[in-house]
Amino acid sequence: MRLKLINWDEIKYALQNLMHRKLRSFLSIVSIMIGITAVFTLVSFGLGIQDYVNTLATQAGTDKLFIMAKSIGAPGTDTSFYLTQDDIDFVEKINGVQEISGMYMKPAEISFRDQKKYNYLAGIDMNNIDFILEASGDLNIEVGKQLRKGELGKVVLGYNYQVPDKIFARGIKVGDKVLVDSEQLEVIGFYEAVGNPSDDANIYVTKEQYELIDPSSKDRYGYVMIRAASDVSPKVLADRITEKLGKYKGQEEGKEDFTVQTFEDAIQTFNTVITIINGILVLIALISLVVASVNIMNTMYTAVLERTKEIGVMKAVGARNSDILIIFIFESGLLGVLGGIIGVGLGYLAATTGGSIAAAAGYSMLKPIFPLTLIIGCIFFAFLVGAGSGVLPAIRASKLHPVDSLRYE
Amino acid sequence: MLTDYFTIALRSLLKRRLRTYLTMIGIFIGIAAVVSLIGLGEGLRIAITSQFGFLGTDVLSVQAANVNFAGAPGQGAPNPLKEDLVDQIRKINNVEAAFGRYIGSATIEFRDKQKIEFVMSVPDKEDRKIFERMMNLKVQDGRLLTDQDARGVLLGSNYHTGITYGATFDRPINAGDKVLINNKEFTVVGILENKGSFIFDDAIMMNNDAMIAEGIKADDGTVNIIGVKVKDVNQMEQTQQDIEKLLRKERDVKVGEEDFVVETPQKALESLNSTLFAVQLFVTIIAVISLVVGGIGIMNTMYTAVLERTKEIGIMKSIGAKNSTIFTLFFIESGMLGMVGGLIGILLGMGFAYGLAYVASLALGSDLIRASISIGLILGALAFSFFFGTVFGVLPAIRASKLNPVDSLRGAK
Repeated sequence: MRLKLINWDEIKYALQNLMHRKLRSFLSIVSIMIGITAVFTLVSFGLGIQDYVNTLATQAGTDKLFIMAKSIGAPGTDTSFYLTQDDIDFVEKINGVQEISGMYMKPAEISFRDQKKYNYLAGIDMNNIDFILEASGDLNIEVGKQLRKGELGKVVLGYNYQVPDKIFARGIKVGDKVLVDSEQLEVIGFYEAVGNPSDDANIYVTKEQYELIDPSSKDRYGYVMIRAASDVSPKVLADRITEKLGKYKGQEEGKEDFTVQTFEDAIQTFNTVITIINGILVLIALISLVVASVNIMNTMYTAVLERTKEIGVMKAVGARNSDILIIFIFESGLLGVLGGIIGVGLGYLAATTGGSIAAAAGYSMLKPIFPLTLIIGCIFFAFLVGAGSGVLPAIRASKLHPVDSLRYE
Repeated sequence: MLTDYFTIALRSLLKRRLRTYLTMIGIFIGIAAVVSLIGLGEGLRIAITSQFGFLGTDVLSVQAANVNFAGAPGQGAPNPLKEDLVDQIRKINNVEAAFGRYIGSATIEFRDKQKIEFVMSVPDKEDRKIFERMMNLKVQDGRLLTDQDARGVLLGSNYHTGITYGATFDRPINAGDKVLINNKEFTVVGILENKGSFIFDDAIMMNNDAMIAEGIKADDGTVNIIGVKVKDVNQMEQTQQDIEKLLRKERDVKVGEEDFVVETPQKALESLNSTLFAVQLFVTIIAVISLVVGGIGIMNTMYTAVLERTKEIGIMKSIGAKNSTIFTLFFIESGMLGMVGGLIGILLGMGFAYGLAYVASLALGSDLIRASISIGLILGALAFSFFFGTVFGVLPAIRASKLNPVDSLRGAK
């Protein structure tokens, strides 16, 4: 093993060769650059979403779990199964449950200045508001006031209602009146942006107001939030609640009409789905790198052919097979690195542009991030692709017979 | 003359075989990716859009407005349709039949294993036949429902074969079996034919009255969706407007503020289709990137070819070849690279798409993932690859055609 694998002369030689056939080198670099741009952009978005989800998980806390009534279809549209206040009271007494709150949620019609829209309405038990907000990822009121306990005739809206043309043509202001399922309510505040158009269009009223809007839903909760005590793991508590509540409701194991899930599990599931989708996209983008690698191979084979005589001369003056091998691999690796560096630069531009377009469309959760490992990883990967595709041509070059090569026309 | 162009182009491609192969590999990988992705995407789109079953051009559906993507049609709408609307719609000119349908959900239990599923209602009396024709309902085992089946259900094919049975139940459910729905015993009167639709193939169907009796649908005088069959298809638009007018009056809303939707099944599919199309387009664009890279490979190869054959071009020019002749020669050569690469790519892509669909159908027991590769796609891909070959061959061909004959003969670089 030689310590000095590559010396300065070899670098200079490789650069000279690349410069000599500028156009061809340029095209090879462009082809690897395109692939790296695509991969870098997609991965930066994937990492960004994961980061968003993980931040949400930390903010919401790992001590939360929730009970969901079984349902099929979109949340809140299927009300066949539910939990009652009696169920909640029972769960509250289970050892390890520190705080608990039922949540009402359903699709509702909201109208403002003769325009009608359909969004989700949530009924909140104001006794537990701090706990609920914490579980929603530290969501805070940005403009105006929070609802008070038992307050009627008032509503707090999601962020997007303030923005003109996002939900309604005119932005709503604090003090405006809206109709929610034909109940007139005064807007007293707005939450800060969550970062997706669905949650930012939510409508929040007190539990009491919700029961006035939809009397049939009284005491029927689709969703119950729980905070586990600090001395019990949420996973253990989830199993305990499933078992005890199932028994209480007289339902056999595996036939419960509810599911208990820890917040972490739910977020993990979401994360897995995102990772798989992103992975498939990256895989498709990687195809272009395969093609780029074939291009580089092609370029290098041509280079070997063109420089047959040169190789012969080098061998005649004492170059070993391994020297020739390294020279050619280095040269193709250089093509890859250059493509990688430009590709990462372009990918950065593409991802930031894409991110701001997504943010403008209301998906500010789609925000790319660029950790150093991604940047270095992409460039290193480009080097590997370049060097890897140079291996076969380099072997051919190294095995050329010096006498025949010198004679080559 | 033209055949000469092709012979010369082919001969020069074959002379530098390795480079030709590598260039073609670049193109066919790209084409294979694009063809298989579009094929699988089309298949998935057909599978998804066939989920909603209401077929035929003489059908309209009426629903109350709801949040986007709210699952089953008409479920959980804030302001549902009143049942008495059905009778009023029936009285409208050109309406042959109108019936309300319920959609709910319930647990279904068989041999101690349980899952939750959509329950859809089947209208009774004379509407039943129309509904069955509209949905093209046929059984593979047992029979369809009748008015007497207060405790009978029809099950989708997935309970008999396919993913639902495999994932939940120990053995396939057959006609005649007893199942528990919301813990009450029902007899399975029939198993529907496979529709290739994950909603219908998983569905539980029972009579309107049974759904109310079992409390799966609240007895509150509302319906989830109203199906309408018209007599004369040519007056469809007029009928649609008449129904809209009636609903505006009944629900007291002005034009442009409708809180309901009256639409043809085709129309309902369009919005879903456009969403799916956007996803497909995005994936295809990513795949097309590899084609661009392959195109750059062609360009590279052709530039090298021009360089290598400088002397040859000089000779051709000195014995009278025009610039345009040289251009055509190189142009055809790169087009051939593209087209042959495309041809191989199409075959590979088709093989991959059908292979994946086959493996997926074995693994999932559902034909949701299937490939649909049309003649249009094949011809399109072929034209596209030829186009790619020539576009990326234009610059090298121009360079070749503009070479100065004297310099070229001298072998100037």
